[in-house]
Amino acid sequence: MTDGVQAVISGPGVFFDGRTSARHDVRVTLNATGLQVEDAAGRVLADWLYDELDELSAPAHVLRLGHRHNGDLARLEIFDEPFAHAIDLRAEYVDRTGAIHRRQRGSIIGWTVLATLALVAVSYWGVPAIAERLGPVVPIAIERRMGEATNMQVRAQLDTKNAGAAFECGNGAGEKIGLAALNKMVKRLEGSAALRLPLRATVIRRDEANALALPGGQIYVFHGLIAKADNPDEVAGVIAHEIGHVAHRDGTKAVLQGAGLSFLFGMLLGDFVGGGAVVLAAKTVLQSSYSREAESAADRYAAELMKKAQGNARALATMLGKIGGATEPGMKILLDHPETKTRIAAINRIAADAPTVPFLSAAEWAALKRICAG
Amino acid sequence: MTIDANETAMTGGVRFLGARKAYWRLLARGAVLLMVTLGIYRFWLTTDVRRFLWSNTEIAGESLDYNGTPIELLLGFLVAVAILIPVYAGFFLAALDLGTLGEMSGLIGFALVAFIGQYAVYRARRYRLTRTVYRGLRFHLEGSALVYALRALPWWVLTAVTLGLAYPFQLASLERYKMHHTFYGDLGGRFAGAGWRLFLRGLPLWLLIVAPIAVTVGAFLEVVDWQALADAMNASDDEVMKRLEQGNPELAAVAVFGVLMAVASIALTLLLYPAFQAIVLRWWTSGLRFGPIEMLSHLRMRHVYGAYIRFALLALALAVVLAIASLPAFFVVGLIAGGNENSAAAEIAAALVLLGGYVIGALGLSTLYRATVGLALWRLSMESLQLSGLSVLDRVEARGQPSSALGEGLVDALHVGGY
Repeated sequence: MTDGVQAVISGPGVFFDGRTSARHDVRVTLNATGLQVEDAAGRVLADWLYDELDELSAPAHVLRLGHRHNGDLARLEIFDEPFAHAIDLRAEYVDRTGAIHRRQRGSIIGWTVLATLALVAVSYWGVPAIAERLGPVVPIAIERRMGEATNMQVRAQLDTKNAGAAFECGNGAGEKIGLAALNKMVKRLEGSAALRLPLRATVIRRDEANALALPGGQIYVFHGLIAKADNPDEVAGVIAHEIGHVAHRDGTKAVLQGAGLSFLFGMLLGDFVGGGAVVLAAKTVLQSSYSREAESAADRYAAELMKKAQGNARALATMLGKIGGATEPGMKILLDHPETKTRIAAINRIAADAPTVPFLSAAEWAALKRICAG
Repeated sequence: MTIDANETAMTGGVRFLGARKAYWRLLARGAVLLMVTLGIYRFWLTTDVRRFLWSNTEIAGESLDYNGTPIELLLGFLVAVAILIPVYAGFFLAALDLGTLGEMSGLIGFALVAFIGQYAVYRARRYRLTRTVYRGLRFHLEGSALVYALRALPWWVLTAVTLGLAYPFQLASLERYKMHHTFYGDLGGRFAGAGWRLFLRGLPLWLLIVAPIAVTVGAFLEVVDWQALADAMNASDDEVMKRLEQGNPELAAVAVFGVLMAVASIALTLLLYPAFQAIVLRWWTSGLRFGPIEMLSHLRMRHVYGAYIRFALLALALAVVLAIASLPAFFVVGLIAGGNENSAAAEIAAALVLLGGYVIGALGLSTLYRATVGLALWRLSMESLQLSGLSVLDRVEARGQPSSALGEGLVDALHVGGY
């Protein structure tokens, strides 16, 4: 400390004692270890040590001081710039250059960036890992309930009531033998799969070549898929893929993953941009990536199951080639299925050229083709 | 550099001393850090903003002092999340139930979140007031957040049912409750604003916005053939639209007219919103009382419009800058793709550019809004105030304890907002 600054040892100030709102015009004296506040009558209003002084937010021309570790709200305000500087030099936690503030801010920023990285890592690896562990533990009864709830939504979306025909095929007079053929096929796959819950496969009146599995064991095969298939093994392969989803409990896991991501992005991080678009984008990209994993796993399961059931494991690959097409439009990071090429290659690696037993006779196959004929 | 603190003390004026540049700097740095930390920085930014606004507001020669900390906000938020997890989990499970409970769970959930939201608004107000220090004394808020939420919900329903006509009375009633329980030291507050005054001032705006919709409804009632409409609705196939047209030949014209009127109504809402804000702000601040201290606001509507115009111009400039900046970004994406249409790297780059543009655009807009309209509304509503009865400030005594930050956390976790 220089002599010039040391020379400033007292100055004017404004004091509020924290007990009433009365304003005291005071004289502040700087001692060796602290400052003393006296009013015009010479009464000592406060005696504060330098290292107990706290700098509080105030307009730029005011130095506002409080008393650390002290519940009361007594305030000392210094308007005289050189005098404020003299206090600044003596008190450890008063720093008008803002260096202390900047240092604290730097460490806060460092920690929050680390926390952010941790959350991103949790959403990428942690959420699917947790869903993977929790999925199998969810009781079958809850899974079935979830399946029923999803079932209502799926039906509301897919059942367009065209031409007044029933949504499910196989109940019409001419459709019964087709239904029997389907059930025979599913029974054989189910026998080899040894699941913990009974399957229910239904053909529905939709023209798309698709199939889907709901939580709880409900499988919907779109009629368009049967129309496009050239032999029973191709249909069986797709059903085996859907059985894979049921066996892996992918529906339940997807619900758990969705809930986890909603919690992480929607709640913990907060929608800092507004509008929810970033949260939605992050959720979509991550869920697509989880879903690609699940699809690959279901493909592997299907190939193994077909081998076990003495079916043609390559049939799923040929079916995928037919419905997937050569190129897929859209962005890969948003696709919920892996690329068809990759899937076909992966299935063919598992498939072996063992002798196969046909799933259906020629007559049964013809009946299955007519399951939606009415 | 010394400014006489007594300058405003005698006149009962309020000054705002904050430099616009310093506020811009604070917000710009905050926006960058929000982006980097995916929003976790908001606790620090909120505290910085409050410290700036509070400490630069000088009432009768003494500035306010905000002594809340970011850590309190962070902890309050974490506690709120911990409270809300079981609530959300309960509704998740209830939604699985197929019975009436499952069907009602959406509605019950909405009502519950609305209720907790109002509860949180009151507790957040308590947090902010007890962290506001003036002349060495803190403000505080008594009363019950639960009671407030029970009062607020029926009012919101009434306001919704009356298409906003009940809003002035809602505001007056809820403000009376809040101010009746608000204290500066031992000096009790009250609210003297009358709902019908705000109603009369706001009615012209309401009529202007509702008129186009009313005209459309009138035209619809005039044109529609109810019998034909009922017949058309009973037909349960895809031909509903066709039959509708056949039965009501003029319906299409009314529909087009209706769309135009809806657009007019929305445009009027946007144009009149600053006027509405100015009217409410002036009415509200003029009604605030603390013991013998009375307030009177001279807020000018044109100043509020000025702030909005500045915001609009800056937003336009931001859009232009973003558009120009996106050109080199997409050029780089094109380079990465290198003519290969299915390049995954290019896809990811393009997605990042789009997402980055969106984040920068949205954060930029909210920052511009806070720096122009937000700051201007604070400054204008403060500087237009005239206080009287200030001599009581020589003898107010300390009372009240600091509250927990839970309310702020709930407000944050539920996205129900607040200052």
